[in-house]
Amino acid sequence: MRAVIAEDLVLLRDGLSRLLGDNGIEVVATVDNGDSLITSVLLERPDIAIVDVRLPPTFGDEGLRAALEIRRRVPDTAILVLSQYVEQTYARELLADGRGGTGYLLKDRVIDIPQFVEAVRRVADGGTALDPEVVAQLFAVRRRSDPLERLTPREREVLAAMAEGRSNAGIAEALVLSVGAVEKHVASILQKLDLPPSETDHRRVLAVLAYLQEQL
Amino acid sequence: MRRTFNELVYLLSGLVAAAVWFGLLLAGWLLTALSALTPLVVPVLIAFRWATHGLAAGEAALARELLGVDTRVGQAPSGGRGYLNRIRGVLGDAVFWRQQSFGAIRMLAGFASGLAAAIAVGSSLYLVSLPLTYRWVDQWQVHTLGRALAAVPVGVVALAVSVLLVHALARAWARMTPALLGTAAPRSTPRRSGLGEHAAAYAAVNAIAVVIWALTTRAYFWPEWTLLALAVPLALHAIGIRSLAVPRRWRWVGVHAATAGVLTVLLAAIWAVTGRGYFWPVWPFLAFVLTAGVHALVVRRSSLEARIDVLETTRAGAVEAAEGELRRIERDLHDGAQARLVALGMSLGLAEQRLAHDPEGAKLLLEEARVGAEEALRELRDLARGIHPPVLTDRGLEAALAALVARIPLPVDLAVDLVRRPAPAQETAAYFVAAEALANASKHAGATRITVRIGGGSDTLVVRVQDDGHGGADAGGAGLTGLARRVQALDGTVRVTSPDGGPTIVEAVMPCAP
Repeated sequence: MRAVIAEDLVLLRDGLSRLLGDNGIEVVATVDNGDSLITSVLLERPDIAIVDVRLPPTFGDEGLRAALEIRRRVPDTAILVLSQYVEQTYARELLADGRGGTGYLLKDRVIDIPQFVEAVRRVADGGTALDPEVVAQLFAVRRRSDPLERLTPREREVLAAMAEGRSNAGIAEALVLSVGAVEKHVASILQKLDLPPSETDHRRVLAVLAYLQEQL
Repeated sequence: MRRTFNELVYLLSGLVAAAVWFGLLLAGWLLTALSALTPLVVPVLIAFRWATHGLAAGEAALARELLGVDTRVGQAPSGGRGYLNRIRGVLGDAVFWRQQSFGAIRMLAGFASGLAAAIAVGSSLYLVSLPLTYRWVDQWQVHTLGRALAAVPVGVVALAVSVLLVHALARAWARMTPALLGTAAPRSTPRRSGLGEHAAAYAAVNAIAVVIWALTTRAYFWPEWTLLALAVPLALHAIGIRSLAVPRRWRWVGVHAATAGVLTVLLAAIWAVTGRGYFWPVWPFLAFVLTAGVHALVVRRSSLEARIDVLETTRAGAVEAAEGELRRIERDLHDGAQARLVALGMSLGLAEQRLAHDPEGAKLLLEEARVGAEEALRELRDLARGIHPPVLTDRGLEAALAALVARIPLPVDLAVDLVRRPAPAQETAAYFVAAEALANASKHAGATRITVRIGGGSDTLVVRVQDDGHGGADAGGAGLTGLARRVQALDGTVRVTSPDGGPTIVEAVMPCAP
């Protein structure tokens, strides 16, 4: 698997490079700004671009804009956006085109290396990785006649894990459940929230997110 | 011969010129005084200046023709726009005042020198011509031709002396005329008030008037009029000088009130030296009080409005500066300490991964992590200090600046001289002005030495940072702009002078009420 990294802080850029290299992901280019990112993606055609939201020269959402531009020009490149903070607004923009291969994580997540590497692989394979913080933000909103109230605590945990982009196996591992139990919970959730069953994990995530955001 | 004749004519012209200048100066200043507090003062002053200028031009032409000096008056300057500016245009015009001085001198010394020349030359000629005229004039007991002839040598000697006198007097005028009327270089010496000279001239003129009065009729004490009339320009002059000490906003109100006072006294004096009947000055006095009161109210109102404008601007600036500061802190936290902690976590995670199969590599990573933790701590400490250094609160400016200076890699000469400790807001602003200027000087100016001075009296705080670098600092830079706003919100000012080639001086002055 081949990756491009866009990160302006040398410390993190080198760390990420080494971390991915140690875990068998080849880093083919590292850049420190949005324009170079687009160029190197066009040149290298990596499987995944790992992008810091805030990049020079504006130190605003430069990275996010570059990511959306890559989406438009090289649609099959998976994109994992890293940030010092996460906002569900950015998540919505990133996921708006409804395609897979998108991730949005706090930089803190790289500390749990196996989990992080797993997320990188999942996104590169066309899956989704959404930071638990974002999911928590989505859950935190109070809704009138909240349908989430109808879920059991365990079902809510499963729903959150689904929203993060995990597969049934991933959910089972994270919550220490059997895959069968997870499948039962998922079916129950989809039924309670009136969501259609989906053939892929990715479709399911989008449906769940769309549902959560629509309730805002 | 011709030269002597020209000089004599010039000196004699002084007798006429003295009368003309006397009339002009008296009329001009009386009219100015009488119209001083009305809009009429503008046309009066402008006409006065034009008349003075015209007469001065005539005098210059006369001196050119008769004394052979190269004197030309310059173009009369055109007045500015607006009521006060026009008055200022006349009263602040050095050329006008030089022409006025010339007029006053011509009036007094011109009359005296003309009279002296006339008497000297006239009496000499009279003595010389006695042999022809003794029959018709009966003076000095010259009744016979013999005595008349004896007077001739005396007359010749007197004539020679008179010619020398004429030369000397004419030379004096030839020197003075271009100095006062010429377009010659303006004085390079600092402006002086000239009030002492003015007072001396006033005393001299009146002394001469009183002497003339004493030597002549001694009837009606007419010098009272020169005493009164010339007191007005002297008083206005004094008011003008004193007004410079009054804060700018109230200056014209002060001038107005003081002028009204002078005029009231003048009118009361006129009343006193004339009939002393009905006390008519009460009416102009009431009018003066009223107009001065209205003036003061208008100025007060406009000064309050101006103050509101300043407060609105500086408040917006302060809010903006605070916001910029918060953005900076947010970025420093995210990209500094937080990024270091992420890197630290990454190193620890990698070390964990490697521990089993590569203990040496893991050890290196752990070491890296420890260094990272130290750096993250240092960055957090720096950030906190950048928000507000604790030592500033605990020990004040001198200790805080000493700590700051110790971290600058250049020799810094620090001197803090404070009467008492400033309020926290001023103290903090002063600290950050010094900190920013020090950082700029040590990073960008190429300086080898920096001087920091903190001082000020009981009601101001002054911060001055000077370096010997190459100058060219950008006063509009983000750091200095933010600080300038912070200082302006405290009613202070920040001034940056940084010519190419240096030195750079950053100076902040802020009031700090006791």
